[in-house]
Amino acid sequence: MTYLTRKVVLFVITLWAAITLNFALPRLMPGSPVDAALAKLASSGQSVTNAQRHAIEVQLGVPNTGLLSQYGSYLKNIATLDFGTSYSFPSETVAQTIGKALPWTLVLVGTSTVLAFVIGTLLGVYAGWRRGRSADSVVTLGSTLFAAFPPFWLGLLLLYVLAFNWNLFPIKGGYVPGATPNLSLAFFGDAVSHSVLPGLTLVITTLSGWVFGMRNNMINTLGEDYVTFAEANGLRTRTVALRYAARNAILPNVTAFGLSLGAIIGGSVLVEGVFSYPGLGNLLYVAVTNHDFPLMQALFLVITLSMLVAIFVVDLLYVRLDPRIRQ
Amino acid sequence: MTAHKYQRSAFVCAVAMLTAAGASACSGSTQGGASGGAPAGGAATLTIQGDAGNPALVENFNPLQPSSALHGVNLIYESMEIVSPIDGTFTPFLATGNKFTDPKTLVFTIRQGAKWSDGKPFTPSDVVFTFNLLKKFPGLDGNGVWQHLSAISTTGNDVTFTFNAPNVPFASTIAQIPIVPEHLWTSVADPVKFTNTKPIGTGPFTLGTFAPTQYALTKNTSYWQADKIVPAKVLFPAQASNQSTNQLDVSSGKFDWAYNFLPDVKTTYVARDPKHNIYWFPPGGTIGLYLNLTKAPYSDANFRKGISLSLNRTTIADKAVNGYLGQASMSGLILPNLQKWLDPTLANQGQVAQSASAATTAFAKAGYTLQGGKLIGKDGKQASMSIVMPNNFSDWVAAATEVTNELKKVGMNVSTDLPQFAQYSQQIQSGTFNAAMGGFGGTGTPYTDFNNALNSSFAAPTGKLTANNFQRFKSPAVDQSLAALASATDESAQKQATTQLEQAMYNQTPIVLLYYGGSWGLFSTKSFTGWPSATDPYTLPTNYNNSLLTVLTHLKKS
Repeated sequence: MTYLTRKVVLFVITLWAAITLNFALPRLMPGSPVDAALAKLASSGQSVTNAQRHAIEVQLGVPNTGLLSQYGSYLKNIATLDFGTSYSFPSETVAQTIGKALPWTLVLVGTSTVLAFVIGTLLGVYAGWRRGRSADSVVTLGSTLFAAFPPFWLGLLLLYVLAFNWNLFPIKGGYVPGATPNLSLAFFGDAVSHSVLPGLTLVITTLSGWVFGMRNNMINTLGEDYVTFAEANGLRTRTVALRYAARNAILPNVTAFGLSLGAIIGGSVLVEGVFSYPGLGNLLYVAVTNHDFPLMQALFLVITLSMLVAIFVVDLLYVRLDPRIRQ
Repeated sequence: MTAHKYQRSAFVCAVAMLTAAGASACSGSTQGGASGGAPAGGAATLTIQGDAGNPALVENFNPLQPSSALHGVNLIYESMEIVSPIDGTFTPFLATGNKFTDPKTLVFTIRQGAKWSDGKPFTPSDVVFTFNLLKKFPGLDGNGVWQHLSAISTTGNDVTFTFNAPNVPFASTIAQIPIVPEHLWTSVADPVKFTNTKPIGTGPFTLGTFAPTQYALTKNTSYWQADKIVPAKVLFPAQASNQSTNQLDVSSGKFDWAYNFLPDVKTTYVARDPKHNIYWFPPGGTIGLYLNLTKAPYSDANFRKGISLSLNRTTIADKAVNGYLGQASMSGLILPNLQKWLDPTLANQGQVAQSASAATTAFAKAGYTLQGGKLIGKDGKQASMSIVMPNNFSDWVAAATEVTNELKKVGMNVSTDLPQFAQYSQQIQSGTFNAAMGGFGGTGTPYTDFNNALNSSFAAPTGKLTANNFQRFKSPAVDQSLAALASATDESAQKQATTQLEQAMYNQTPIVLLYYGGSWGLFSTKSFTGWPSATDPYTLPTNYNNSLLTVLTHLKKS
């Protein structure tokens, strides 16, 4: 079997396993969505009767068919993107709710991830090249310090200083309240100003991973014979650092980058929560706190799928980057 | 913008270049500055901290579904009258008044000349239609109106409600049911699930625009008391899911009327704009320690009094609500709101002071004595207690922690249990708890407060769910007083029955009342004045129920 077919088969098997797990987990949890809904009802001061339990079962479509036929219709629903109706947003389908939140997360977390990767990797190259000197200490110490901030705390800090005290950015949301998302320049500018703080928070707190990965790989690579050879040949420092050392040192970071791209879809629950950003992370928070099973199940599925696809793509990319893998 | 401020923006723009925002962040930051400032638009627009809607508000303006409808619905629909949650005073809206012809028959006189916002006249038959709708769809009857009513009829401008049993205090529930238009709702197939996105009401406002992040109401110029309504527009921007973010939002002065707990409010809110920012935190309910009366030793009133006397309620209130509110009166009345019902014979307005000696006496009567630092009962065991409360109710947790410490000092073995809300409510409703934190009262009507907490008909056996009287209090004498209060139409008879209930509460301590829960009203007088206050307490500052309508009829341009 070639490398490619092996990867495709593996992908299909993991995909099936993930989808099945997503089906099984909620059913293995103690309690049921009906119990959760009844608890909510009871907490509002109403007494719960058997008639109400039945009514909720009917509403939620709790099936009394066998597991196997449930599984069948679950697979069919996934294929048709039919995840039912969420309890928190009853006026639209789960697919619509997720569809609305997805672009916000993709752009915010996606851009921040790419920026953190680019900036972090460049800083790592620099620190690795000047290892042991003061520039190295500044970069490594600095990024360690920022990595130690919990993201939601840094978010609140930025919010307090930049948005509250200095009025430079809006306090919350993805755009000015009352606006309708559209493609106009004014809306785009507004959305950008709302995304600066959450973006900054994400970049600052994820930077250090890239810095350290790259710096340590650089140091390893710099010890290789071909680097010494290149230096001995009198190549310019810059050329040696970037074209010889960094190019070889970046491979593990690329893998990690692929994985973190997959994680983008999951969004950042805490950071999006602090800024009330209209993305998937915030949606997941709402779904979990409201025991919104249809929404939760669909979100977990989307997160798992995007992770799997990202791993698959990274696998394929490796074939291009490293010829040794191809056999 | 001053030059100094420009420097700061320039710095931030440079930082912003490194982030997702890219180059256009600099133009965006100016916009951010504007929206972070004071409410714009002058006196015509009133901005109210709106519904918790995150990441998106769900459009629902069904007034008969108060748990899922957006707050603005309270300004679109009206009820016959609004009853003050502070002292139970009736203010007429769609009715001009009400009277009991006998304790089972209540007659409302319906206002003439009111119109639906589509121009059709409002009539008594709309009232009858609405109540029949509640009968037909029990899903809409969250107040259980038809558990008390037997019939409704109309003659001329009068609508007559006939009760199953004498229930004078229930008039306030009847009066406050929002009335919907018959000509439109008669064709709604399922009013329970109806989201009513084009609401037509009799109220002072109509729905202007709706977006998932904010909705706007515009003034209904044909409103029957339009001259009393000052704002031309009311904005309801959605709240964030994060409390800290909401607090910053409120502090930044974005709202004319917010409802939010703020620590150190003088610094965090008033000092931000000392000329305009005011607050009023009146008591809106009582927080108490519920003891399970089906279990020993809590079944013994002397033991409960011992606990009550062991507590320093001032410290508890300080810890729980920053001292914004004080200790609760054991009369069961919220003071000063319900001062006029207070039994003058109760010492110190019913406030119980901490007293180690009195507590020892009470415990001794219950058979508990202090031995080696432990409160030991006749069975030779130390008195113990586990207090249950939801883990996210931070003021309850703070109060319970203080209660725990104080009861440990008198020799009890006390612990706290902090489950999720659902589990907490399961425990108190089924009666499996042994002690719990809980709310009491706050309806503005002493009967409703006492009836919910003390009526033995709610005292379900352990294991069966009940929505009220969690401690399972049973007393024929109290039931009799409640029945007397329910059928009393004149004030002296009402006072007599209320006094009996206060004494039962004070002497038998069915619930150890601790401190008053607050109602967190934050106002700006920049555009509007006339907010409810300690000197003019016409309603609670809650901006999520029909107090909205009451306040809007009191606002003046500043």
